[in-house]
Amino acid sequence: MRNSECGIRNAQHRAARAATAPVRTEPLSEPSHTPYKESPRGPVGRSERRVDGREKVLGTCLYGADLFYQRADYFAQVVRSEMPHARLLGVESEAALRVPGVVAVYTAHDMPGTNRQGLIHRDHPVLAEGLVRYRGDAVAIVVGQSQAAARNGCNAVQVAYEALPVVATMDDALDESAPKLHRDGNVMGGKRIRKGDADRALEEADVVVSETFQTQTVDHAFLDLEAGIAQWDGGVLTIQVSGQWAHEERRLTALALGLPIEQVQIVTPATGGAFGGREDLSLQVYLGMAALKHPGKTIAMQYSREESMRARHKRHAIRIHYTLGAKNDGTITAAKITVYSDEGAYASTGPAVLRKAASHATGPLRVPNVYVDVYGVFTNNNPTGAMRGFGACQMAIAYNSMMDRLAERLGMDPVELWRRNLICDGDEVTTGQRIGIVTATACMDAALAKYRDDRRVDPPLAAHQRRGWGLSVICFGLGYGDGFPDASRATVRFKSDGRMEVATGGVEYGQGLLNMTAQIAAEKCGVPLSRVDVVWADTRRTQESGSSSATRQTYFTGNAVRIAADELREEVLDVAGKLLCVHPHELDIRDARIVGRFDPALSATLDDVLAEGRRRGHRLEGFGIFKPRTVCEDFATGQSPRSFITYLFGAHLAQVVVDVETGEVRIERYVACHDVGKAINPQSVAGQMVGGATQGIGMALMEEVVNEDGVMKNPNFTDYILPTFRDVPEIECVILENDDPGGPFGARGIGEPPLIAAVPAVLSAIGSAVGAQPHTTPCNPQRVWELLHPEQAARPAHPATTPAHAGMNR
Amino acid sequence: MAQLETTWRLQCTVNGGPVDCEVPQDQTLLDFLRIGIGLTGSKGSCLEGECGSCTVIVDGQAVNSCLVLCPQMQGRRITTIEGLACGEKLHVLQETFLDAGAAQCGYCTPGLIMAAKALLDETPNPTEQEFFEGMEGNICRCTGYASICEAIRAAARQWQ
Repeated sequence: MRNSECGIRNAQHRAARAATAPVRTEPLSEPSHTPYKESPRGPVGRSERRVDGREKVLGTCLYGADLFYQRADYFAQVVRSEMPHARLLGVESEAALRVPGVVAVYTAHDMPGTNRQGLIHRDHPVLAEGLVRYRGDAVAIVVGQSQAAARNGCNAVQVAYEALPVVATMDDALDESAPKLHRDGNVMGGKRIRKGDADRALEEADVVVSETFQTQTVDHAFLDLEAGIAQWDGGVLTIQVSGQWAHEERRLTALALGLPIEQVQIVTPATGGAFGGREDLSLQVYLGMAALKHPGKTIAMQYSREESMRARHKRHAIRIHYTLGAKNDGTITAAKITVYSDEGAYASTGPAVLRKAASHATGPLRVPNVYVDVYGVFTNNNPTGAMRGFGACQMAIAYNSMMDRLAERLGMDPVELWRRNLICDGDEVTTGQRIGIVTATACMDAALAKYRDDRRVDPPLAAHQRRGWGLSVICFGLGYGDGFPDASRATVRFKSDGRMEVATGGVEYGQGLLNMTAQIAAEKCGVPLSRVDVVWADTRRTQESGSSSATRQTYFTGNAVRIAADELREEVLDVAGKLLCVHPHELDIRDARIVGRFDPALSATLDDVLAEGRRRGHRLEGFGIFKPRTVCEDFATGQSPRSFITYLFGAHLAQVVVDVETGEVRIERYVACHDVGKAINPQSVAGQMVGGATQGIGMALMEEVVNEDGVMKNPNFTDYILPTFRDVPEIECVILENDDPGGPFGARGIGEPPLIAAVPAVLSAIGSAVGAQPHTTPCNPQRVWELLHPEQAARPAHPATTPAHAGMNR
Repeated sequence: MAQLETTWRLQCTVNGGPVDCEVPQDQTLLDFLRIGIGLTGSKGSCLEGECGSCTVIVDGQAVNSCLVLCPQMQGRRITTIEGLACGEKLHVLQETFLDAGAAQCGYCTPGLIMAAKALLDETPNPTEQEFFEGMEGNICRCTGYASICEAIRAAARQWQ
């Protein structure tokens, strides 16, 4: 991907739409000569270097594991269940306490607070209470004077189990004789969409296609293992562990430990990737508990790769029964969808993932009659939770694949079928929300244009090779949505040394949040980026900015920074007006100078103005809060006039070559197009697109957590296969910029959509190459071979989760 | 389990400076660098030689420091990410990584830069095959590799 290829403005599209769009209401345009119009002159829209880049390339950046060897007094380690499902009869710690260097062993009885964790549903005991529900459930904590002592102590802790039947699959869980894993049984209250009359529309449809899809369990596989330190000084518990939402980690930790939240501080160290995998708590409570028991001591803790993979939640494996009805001309009339999601042992963010799956069930398709039932099913597999794409990703696999099937059935060109059914400005999505600005078709056309314009001569194929290409089009509602309170706060100030400080509670884990905040603040206040310092995700120094998830930080925290920086800018201009004896509206800040908008002779340095401000007692600080409302989806129908604050659109194109003898898939060409509203930092946007598409390629082709009888078989990077240099083609990026009226400088966001669009594009390409549509991910060589030889592949019957079963808890 | 108390007197060179100290005999080079002498730039991740986050250069060769033990380092010349910059002046790879946006979360970055340095020291103008052979031992979960390839190619153009 070359930078020069990015940042393509879709001016033609915008102009064309402005002329024809019936719904979009243009804001009153200002007279062209106004000097106040906001168009970026500074860092916004530029591919500035990362503000945290220097320390990252020097190796001086401190991640969780880098904090502790010099500073730790004690090391903690967790004893984890060896059984996927068992009654906990007793934990015998005497032998462990005799191990040299072991200081203490703690179990649930020693936990001072609620002993509960879970981001939305707090149903997961931090330390097991009488029952373990997955292999990896925490049973006890051992504290030792060294890491080795703690590890040896863990090995010496004797845990007595009474094995219980393992609920290994969703089918097992739904069997009436299955043990109940939670009080309310194995089915978690789901989510439904009722829009129009899908049954009747399907009866009346000219064509009906049905398919069942099964997605896999995926691990986040961030490289920076969970690690950190904690101290309790008798009044404040300070925990330095990477997460994705420092202020929520503070609340959850305080609850679990029975402390008032004021007595817990979370300081987020440099964070090496997250992708949703740090949304649930990891070490925070274990470390906090050990620290509380040993006042004044610094406690350190670090997972191994195996512990990280065994302990952490995963992406939901989801089974989707999808039926689509259409007229002969290709117009889709109805969708009936039943979704079963393997929640694993605990719910955590599961309910939110299910809601997102339901609200994105038909993606950017215009479907007047929709019927969706979504269920979560508890098993003894790893708990599941947030991962990039968050429910919307699995649904995109289904609706994109259904479009290929429908096109095949109708004998239509898939692109033509998409064109006929994509929503346009003002159309409704699954939830009934009308979307003002829809650029789904624009993304598809731009991706197709890129693909065709640079049409290369494809190398000739060998006899055992087949070539195919596939298209995906997706939409994504950003933010938590569905009425869930969602707010970001930011503070921007000039420090006494004249440097600007931007403080937000958002976590930077590589995605570029720091540059986004710094570039917006610098742009607003007319200072170069080199003069900006950033403070982030430290509950002692920043206010809450929500989680770094749901593709929400650019829109939410970006807006909070914009508001804060505007306030600061006005304060500075106010002082400058006094200094220069003019009304502030006559002044502007450019390149750290105050300049006259109308009178070039008016001028002062920013430093002089800041000094004057301090003399006059001005605070030189701005605060911003951005807290837009969404409307809760109706319980019975899943409909809402404003379920999400805004929507993102994207389209990907993949061209693959399949080796029909080995089932291997090689991606030959790849085009990704996303409408981001405004790329605050185009290089960072392209980085998210390429990185997200690569994770999507991994999910489409190779990544899979293999569980057998509740035991993860591949908790390491030797057996859990990740994309490497060789697996990723050149990903050609097309960035569309159609301003979002509510976004900072028109920006929407980018984090999750590239992954969501990538998986179905690759699957579609494989389908076109081999002449049979994939229905199971990942599409590894074995599954491709099964597609080519269906007679030799036993197709799973999915007995327990056929749609007929769907009435069970209603 | 009894602690292994056996230590070893390790004499080697790290980033140009002599090192002479007692280390546990079963300590990996990675742990020695990070715990023993506080050079935390080299990162541990998979801890079994799959991801390359711990890559350092030993006598000109890229090595997974999580897989070698201290006694194997006797008399060897070790270079880590901390040894690349010259005062305030960054190494050319560090510059090109910044320009290309090749560091996102940054956790794999030290290992990637060391692997790339070993590759370009050996083969300043690598073919695609040589490039893959030099770099495929390093995993990046964030970038999708494009920006890293761009950074290494840009560095190759300036390599001396």
